[in-house]
Amino acid sequence: MNVYLDYQAAKPVDQRVIEAMLPYYFDHFGNPSSLHKEGDKAEEILEKCRENLARFIGGEKEEIIFTSGATEANNLALIGYAMRNKDKGNHLIISEIEHISIHNIAKYLQKCGFEVSKIPVDQYGRVNIDKLVNRITEKTILISIGYASDEIGTLQEISEIGKIAREKNIAFHSDAVAAEGLVTIDVQKDHIDLLSLSSNDIYGPKGVGVLYVKKRVKINPLIIGGGQEKGLRSGTENIPGVVGMSTAAEIIAKEMGEEVKRFTDYRDRLLKNIPEIIPKCHVNGHLKKRLPNNAHFRFAGIEGESLLLSLNDKGIAVSTGSACSSKTLEPSHTLISLGLLHEEAHGSLELTCGRFNKERDIDEVIEVLPGIVHKLRELSPIYRE
Amino acid sequence: MGTLHYSPTVMDHFRNPRNVGSLEGNNVAMGRVGNPVCGDLMDIYIEVENDRIVDIKFKTFGCGSAIATSSMITEMVKGKTLDEAMKVSRKDVASELDGLPPIKMHCSNLAADALHEAIKNYRKMQAQQPEEAQKEIPPENKKIIGEQKFLNHGLYHRVDDISQFKDKRVIVPDRGNKSIELAMALTEQTGRVVFLSSSKDISGSSDIKTKLKRSDVKVLYESELLEIKGSEDVEKVRVLDKNEDEEYELSVDSVIILN
Repeated sequence: MNVYLDYQAAKPVDQRVIEAMLPYYFDHFGNPSSLHKEGDKAEEILEKCRENLARFIGGEKEEIIFTSGATEANNLALIGYAMRNKDKGNHLIISEIEHISIHNIAKYLQKCGFEVSKIPVDQYGRVNIDKLVNRITEKTILISIGYASDEIGTLQEISEIGKIAREKNIAFHSDAVAAEGLVTIDVQKDHIDLLSLSSNDIYGPKGVGVLYVKKRVKINPLIIGGGQEKGLRSGTENIPGVVGMSTAAEIIAKEMGEEVKRFTDYRDRLLKNIPEIIPKCHVNGHLKKRLPNNAHFRFAGIEGESLLLSLNDKGIAVSTGSACSSKTLEPSHTLISLGLLHEEAHGSLELTCGRFNKERDIDEVIEVLPGIVHKLRELSPIYRE
Repeated sequence: MGTLHYSPTVMDHFRNPRNVGSLEGNNVAMGRVGNPVCGDLMDIYIEVENDRIVDIKFKTFGCGSAIATSSMITEMVKGKTLDEAMKVSRKDVASELDGLPPIKMHCSNLAADALHEAIKNYRKMQAQQPEEAQKEIPPENKKIIGEQKFLNHGLYHRVDDISQFKDKRVIVPDRGNKSIELAMALTEQTGRVVFLSSSKDISGSSDIKTKLKRSDVKVLYESELLEIKGSEDVEKVRVLDKNEDEEYELSVDSVIILN
C-alpha cells in the first residue's frame, strides 16, 4: 500500500507532459538564438509556450519570463524590483506567513539597506488588510503576499490587496506556487504586477518556472549573460522544460474543474472525519477559505516527526511543521504566526492531495491515523485525556 | 529526514519501544529532561533494589531518535548497579543504536541525562534529604512592558461586550475566578483563548478549575506575561516560562487583564 499525500512538497510529472517534452531533447534540440532552421524551430516553440503560459494566468506573451523555478522567480521579483526602483523608496511589505524563500530574500534586502514590514495574520492565517494599509508609507515600493499558504492552505484576499497596491501606486507581487492549478489566477482581475509560478506544481518538470512581469513594470536582472528573456534572465533557454511547463498548464487548465471538485471531496472528508475520530485534534488554517487539496491538523501531546515515521511505516507519505523534521530545528514560522505555541506546532500534520490520489487513499489515512496517534500518545509524558 | 537517515536499530526501537510506562513505589525515582517547547521531553522511572536497577520504564514526547534513545537506554541499564548506570553516556546510547544523524546528537539524545537525573533523585531520596521547601513567591503585580501603550488598543482591564472578541486570539492572565469564567465564556466567541497562570496551579475554586481544564481554553502554567508588543494594536506578547526560565513570543490579538 503506497499512499502519497504530500503533493505540496513535490508532484510527479504527468506522462503526457513527458511525451510532449521528449522530441525537444533530440529531434528539435536547437538554440533559439541560432540563425538557422533548427534555431527557428526552437524560437517558434519557445514563443508558443510563452503565449500558452500567458493565457494560463490572463497575461500577455511579452509579460512572461522563464526562470529555473519559483525560487528564482521570487528572487528576480523582489531583488530585481527593489534594486531597479530604489530611487522611489526603500520600503517593502510582506506577510508573516510567506514562503521561506520570500522571508530569506527580505532578510537579504534588509542587509542591502531596505526596510521590510511583516504583516501579521489572524488565527486562520489571513493577512490583516487594515494593518497592511497602516504600514504603507511614502517609501513603500513593493508589496509581496502569497496567493495561498503552502503550509496551511489559507487563501488570501489577493484581488483586494492588489487593488490597494494599485491605488497607492505600489507594485504588487504574489507567489502563486501553492495556488496554481487549484484556483483560477487572473493577473488583470487581481491587479498583480509580478507573479511567480513553478512548473512542478502543475505536474510539469522540476527546474522550470515563470515570473510574470506586467508591462511597464521595470526590474533589474539577477543573471547577466547573452541577453535572453529580454535581458532579464540570461542563459540558453531550457526548451524541453519550457515545453513541459506549457503542456502541464494546458492540461491543468482543461482538467481543473473536475480535479478541484474531487480534491474538495477528499479534503472535506479528512477535515470532518479526523477531528471526529481523534480526540484533542484541531484543524489549522481557515475552514472555508483554503486550498481545495489541503488538510492541516495538530494533535495534542505528540510530535510530528514520530507521526511521519509511523505513517511512513504504513506506506503513507505526509508532511509536518515540526522542528525535528526541519533543517534548522525551528518549528514552522507559519504555525507560530497563527498564535500556536511551539509544542502545538510540533504536533502538526499536513496532508495535500493531487492528481493521482484515489478515494481509497483517503480511506486508508482515516483508518490508520487514529491508531498511530493513540500509540504515540501512550508514549507521551505530556498527553492528558 | 526520512527513514533512511536512521539506522535499522533506531527504527526497531522506534517501532517497538521497550519498557514503555511509569513506575510507582517507595524505591522508585523519576528523572525528567527536555521541554515540549524544543520538541523533546522524556521521563525515565527506575526501581532500585540493593543499589541495582531492577525495573525501568519511560515516557517520551519527541522525534524518532528521542523515542529510540529512551527505549535503548532502558535495555542497557536494566540489572546494572547505580554506579554502572551513571557511567552510561549519551555517546554510549548513540553507538548502541548504531549511530544517530549528526543533527540529532544533541537535541534528541537526552536519555542518558534523564537516567542520571533519576539516579540522582533516587540517591537524594535515600539520603532522606528534606525536599527543598517550595518557596511560595507572593504574586506581585509586576509591571508589564507596553501596558500603557496598548490600553484599549487590544489590552483591556474590563469587558463590557464579549462579542468584540469574536475570532480574536485572546490571552487572559489568572486573576481569580472572574478571569477563569471570562476565559471559558470567550471560547464561545473564538477558537483561541490562552489562560496564563503564574504558578503550577490555578487560583480559582476546585470546581471551576475542573471546568477550565475540560474547556477549550489553552492553559499555560508557571507562565508570566512580560511584554505586550505591536505596531498600533496588540500583535504579540512575550511570555516567561518560569519552569524552563525561557522567554518566547506568542501571536495574539487581545490581552485581558482584569483588575
